Amino acid sequence: MANVSTLLADRRAEFTGYSFAFLDDMAKREIRRSILKAIAIPGHQVPFGSREMPIARGWGTGGLQITLALVGPTDAIKVIDQGDDASVNAANLRRLIAKTTGATEVYATHEATLIQTRHRIPEERLGAGQILILQVPVPEPLRFVERSVAAARAMHAERDYAQMWLALYEDIVRRGEVSAGAGYPVMVNHRFIMAPSPIPRWDIPKLHHAQSLFLFGAGREKRIYAVPPFTDVRPLEFEDFPFDTEHFDGKSCIRCGATDSYLTESPREDGSKVAVCSDSSYCDDTLSGRKVVNRW
Amino acid sequence: MVEPLEPLLRVRNLTKVYTSGNRRVLACEDVSFDVYPGEVLGIVGESGSGKSTVLQCLYQDVAPTSGQAFLASYHNGEHSIFEADRRERRELRAHQISMVYQNPRMGLNLMVTAGGNVAGRLLAADWRRVSDIRDKASDYLQRTEVPLDRMDDFPAFFSGGMQQRVQIAKALANGPELVLLDELTTGLDVSVQAGVLDLVRDIQHTTGMTAIIVSHDLGVIRLLTDRVLVMKDGHVVESGLTDQILEDPQHPYTQLLVNCVTA
Repeated sequence: MANVSTLLADRRAEFTGYSFAFLDDMAKREIRRSILKAIAIPGHQVPFGSREMPIARGWGTGGLQITLALVGPTDAIKVIDQGDDASVNAANLRRLIAKTTGATEVYATHEATLIQTRHRIPEERLGAGQILILQVPVPEPLRFVERSVAAARAMHAERDYAQMWLALYEDIVRRGEVSAGAGYPVMVNHRFIMAPSPIPRWDIPKLHHAQSLFLFGAGREKRIYAVPPFTDVRPLEFEDFPFDTEHFDGKSCIRCGATDSYLTESPREDGSKVAVCSDSSYCDDTLSGRKVVNRW
Repeated sequence: MVEPLEPLLRVRNLTKVYTSGNRRVLACEDVSFDVYPGEVLGIVGESGSGKSTVLQCLYQDVAPTSGQAFLASYHNGEHSIFEADRRERRELRAHQISMVYQNPRMGLNLMVTAGGNVAGRLLAADWRRVSDIRDKASDYLQRTEVPLDRMDDFPAFFSGGMQQRVQIAKALANGPELVLLDELTTGLDVSVQAGVLDLVRDIQHTTGMTAIIVSHDLGVIRLLTDRVLVMKDGHVVESGLTDQILEDPQHPYTQLLVNCVTA
């Protein structure tokens, strides 16, 4: 411990003039308490005192506050936006975290101890020591079926989810399928319906009985919730309309050639579109010949 | 020897007082009655007599000031349904008691299709197969004579009569033990009224449902009910078999009521 605190003191002095990890100590303790409560009640939204951050609300302040409350100087930090380490927002967040803590910046999924993410869960299976922190715009899955926040909370408390099921039923009747693409609602631990943040359906099965811890932070809405390791997480589905992920039949990544990852479309100058891996770490691995053995 | 029939519902000393500031308005007082399985009970009275309040208390839209109501299937009839907590109250509404409001807009979710409105009750009862839900919903909509090609339309665009029929289908889906019907034909024109009344009578005959029908219309009461309570100023003034009450009214108010219709 001695060398950690020495290191910490050195780095703090060396780097910024802000507190270690930007937030003051009391703020971090309050956030950690909320995180512990969230882990104790999987899928339940715990209120927390969301702080003003040096980025605007809606740009990942919830995820950032969780990351900053947990990060230590020996952590390896990875930040991705739509799977991409190099996007401007991800790069800025990663730089802020590293600068105020001395944590190492990494791109490779398997090297990271903390991964803050928007809209994706990495393709490589996360291990027992890793924590994935998701940025959440709308933490309330019932928002779209119940306008009143108080009524929605009562519905959670009473496990009264008929309205949600009715919305899914109406979707199937009128469109032939459940239209939710990103952020497909899930049932956590047979108790709470949870908004998994806008991850694609492709990533939904990864939440079920994972080895890693998932934390969800909504800065604007001031809510933290969690899926602890080995928790039951199931998409809401009717018996005769089972949940299905996206399919990329016949398509492969134009960069690395992968056919087994979540692909996004990238426009070219001539107006055509090409498919490319959304997870840049996985794409790099495939390109460099590193075999990712741990898949979900 | 025939076992005496247990009542499905026992209402005892139901009282509702509305207060606003220092003013107290008595809606109903000391209303007691039994409803037996398969029976249709009518409550008749002029507007303001407290008859709708009785229904609203039983459906727990409003909390009674005092009194009890024992439903045979709720804690074996040992506890009053007014003691139910929020979750139990929701269970009661999902499985045991349903309500048809005078205004179909009260009972329907207009943002949801006609089929979805009926499906809602099935979903609340944990049905999880879309095809089963659709079969059941279309069965009930057919029974209430809602054309099936309107099943996936929004009831906001339906006529009042058809809205009322959708509401009845919704109330009957999932086979509730007790159906409360509040002035179900009042807002409808005469020919549509007749259709809705026929419908309710047919369903009652085929399913043997237990119901309480509130109406100020003695024609409705005569057509549909086995027994009737007559209410005036929040009190039950007379009760008995419908034929008996309408043919041989004892209380002056009931006599007046019956004379108004026949005169």
